[in-house]
Amino acid sequence: MIELENLTKRYGDVDVVSDVSMQIQPGSFTVVVGQSGSGKSTLLRMVNRLVEPTAGRVLIDGRDVASLPGPTLRRGIGYAIQGHGLFPHRTVAQNIATVPTLLGWPKAKIRARVAELLEALQLDPGQFAAKYPDELSGGEQQRVGVARALAAGPNILLMDEPFGALDPIIRVKAQDDVKAIQRRFETTILLVTHDMEEAFHLGDAIAVMSGGKLQQYGSPEDLLLRPANDYVSRLIGSSDRALRALSLKTARDAAESGDTDGLFPIAPDANLRDALAELIWRGADAAAVSGEAGTPPRRLSLRRILALGRGA
Amino acid sequence: MATHQAAAAPPRQVGTGALARLDRLGLLLVALAAGGLASLPFLTFKANRIAAGAGKTLADTLGTAVAAAFLAVLALVAAVALLDRRPRVRLAAALLGVGAMALAVGFGAGWLTPPGDRFARVAPGGGAWLLLLALALLATDALARLGLSPLLRMAALAGAAAVTVLAFRSGLFDQLSVMREYASRADVFGREARQHLLLAGGSVAAAILIGAPLGALCALSPRIRGAVLPVLNVVQTIPSIALFGLLMGPLAWLGRTQPWAAELGIRGIGAAPALLALTLYALLPVAANTALGLGRVPATAVDAAAGMGMTRRQILARIEIPLALPVILAGVRVVLVQNIGLATIAALIGGGGLGTFVFQGVGQTAIDLVLLGAAPTVAMAFVAAVLLDAVVDALGRRPA
Repeated sequence: MIELENLTKRYGDVDVVSDVSMQIQPGSFTVVVGQSGSGKSTLLRMVNRLVEPTAGRVLIDGRDVASLPGPTLRRGIGYAIQGHGLFPHRTVAQNIATVPTLLGWPKAKIRARVAELLEALQLDPGQFAAKYPDELSGGEQQRVGVARALAAGPNILLMDEPFGALDPIIRVKAQDDVKAIQRRFETTILLVTHDMEEAFHLGDAIAVMSGGKLQQYGSPEDLLLRPANDYVSRLIGSSDRALRALSLKTARDAAESGDTDGLFPIAPDANLRDALAELIWRGADAAAVSGEAGTPPRRLSLRRILALGRGA
Repeated sequence: MATHQAAAAPPRQVGTGALARLDRLGLLLVALAAGGLASLPFLTFKANRIAAGAGKTLADTLGTAVAAAFLAVLALVAAVALLDRRPRVRLAAALLGVGAMALAVGFGAGWLTPPGDRFARVAPGGGAWLLLLALALLATDALARLGLSPLLRMAALAGAAAVTVLAFRSGLFDQLSVMREYASRADVFGREARQHLLLAGGSVAAAILIGAPLGALCALSPRIRGAVLPVLNVVQTIPSIALFGLLMGPLAWLGRTQPWAAELGIRGIGAAPALLALTLYALLPVAANTALGLGRVPATAVDAAAGMGMTRRQILARIEIPLALPVILAGVRVVLVQNIGLATIAALIGGGGLGTFVFQGVGQTAIDLVLLGAAPTVAMAFVAAVLLDAVVDALGRRPA
């Protein structure tokens, strides 16, 4: 668990980060959202002490990060940034091996780990290990950046706008990859972005920052249905709020028992936004959601979906 | 599609194409060499060291038969320069031309000198120099077109140096006036050449030791940069002789009043002020290029390195210096070549070096003696430039 306690960073007279407290659950994917100048990057950089707080402290699993030398602390925490920050004079394998090398791992272990990570990120080790960063596409560079951040198997991964330099099509794929990696290695990820879509797509929990202050911290549903203030509701945007809320719920969770004779089937994992679109397109009032093994299918009605979209 | 394009291409015309197919550089070089040989003497003969020279044509020098053979070889080289665009062939032709010319100059000097005459001086004339220039340009152009890897370039340089040394050792050129001057100064020549290298190399080494950290500070802080670089810029613009003069006073005072300074050999004249002045000249390029190179290291790479737990020192040693090295070395290349040339001036204040011969020669109006100092200086600068270019290239291509 990462605990931020009354964190403040002051440059001159300006509080870039002002009295922020939050707790980040182990294994969660937490996204800090804010516009540029909101203090979100500074907040992130205080976790691994690239920025020293003016006041307050950061605890990781109950231990104050200030009790460790900065470099030692940072070797135990993954770090990935916008524009990947790969070392242009080192090969992909050497880049990924950065932290293991700093930690003095044996060469054979480093080689095996590099191969494992390249495969996990769908990069063929034989093809990519000896390449230099400028020989890779933007998406490949980003994946190598993530692999490098995960090289020493950190429990925590800090990401500062890691998808910012990618074009939209690659970006969604890269986001899904990181989410899959997070589940596979059970890493706690703290990610900073200015993109609300990205926050909703990735986050188990979302923190909204503005003017150095934490505006709201909660689940995506909380933010949608119970925005703490005007700023948060404006940032989320009111026009498609209902659809966003629907996209956070699955057909399985919303289905009710009832008559399913003659209804078209819909996958239990489909989210309600997609289910609604399907109902509209087919001109149907309800669909059948197949149940768990042995249980009968259940009914998902248009009326039920609309109610959930209002936050009921 | 392809056949259509081929059909659309303009047909090659023999009439208008004949001149256009000639290599333009080749045309220029052949004109240069032919014009030089036709209008200027190939060798010059002087009865003694300071007598007026008499120009000797190729035929005077070599006799009709040998001169014709030599010209036939040159005609072959010219044909290649004009018509053949393959770099290997052009390089081979240029080397053939240089070899033939070395033999012609060496033996020609021997034949022109009356047997047993130790006062006569034979030197290459304008024609020979222009021919050498044309051949050198042909070879350089061919080498550039070959696009050799840095390692091969260094090997080629070593080969050329070895052949040159062997040619001089063989006694082929012993009858040339420059070698006559060398023969009477062989012992001093070695010492002054070493001194020259020491002045140039030592000042560059000192400039790296001082200038690189200074450049690093400039990269860190715009305020330091604003203070340091303009000062070095001003130093760079002081004429070298004036700088020697300016340093003489303080250093003489230091040598007189401080025993430790006197022990180090610090005086108003001699090697110390020369070394100091050369170091000052070398500071700006080294410091400025270090600042530039470090400034161009991607900020994201440094941020990532810090974020992954590298210490400041590790970031400098593993990220910043390797990435800045090609730019820093480009600065070192500039100052090394510059200081090899400038070190000639050190002789003016008793600092020694090959400039000694240059200034003696100027004083005695003995142009051959000037050449004895100048030619090795140019050769040294050339070797330094090729070597460092190759190193910079090797680093820039694929730094490991």
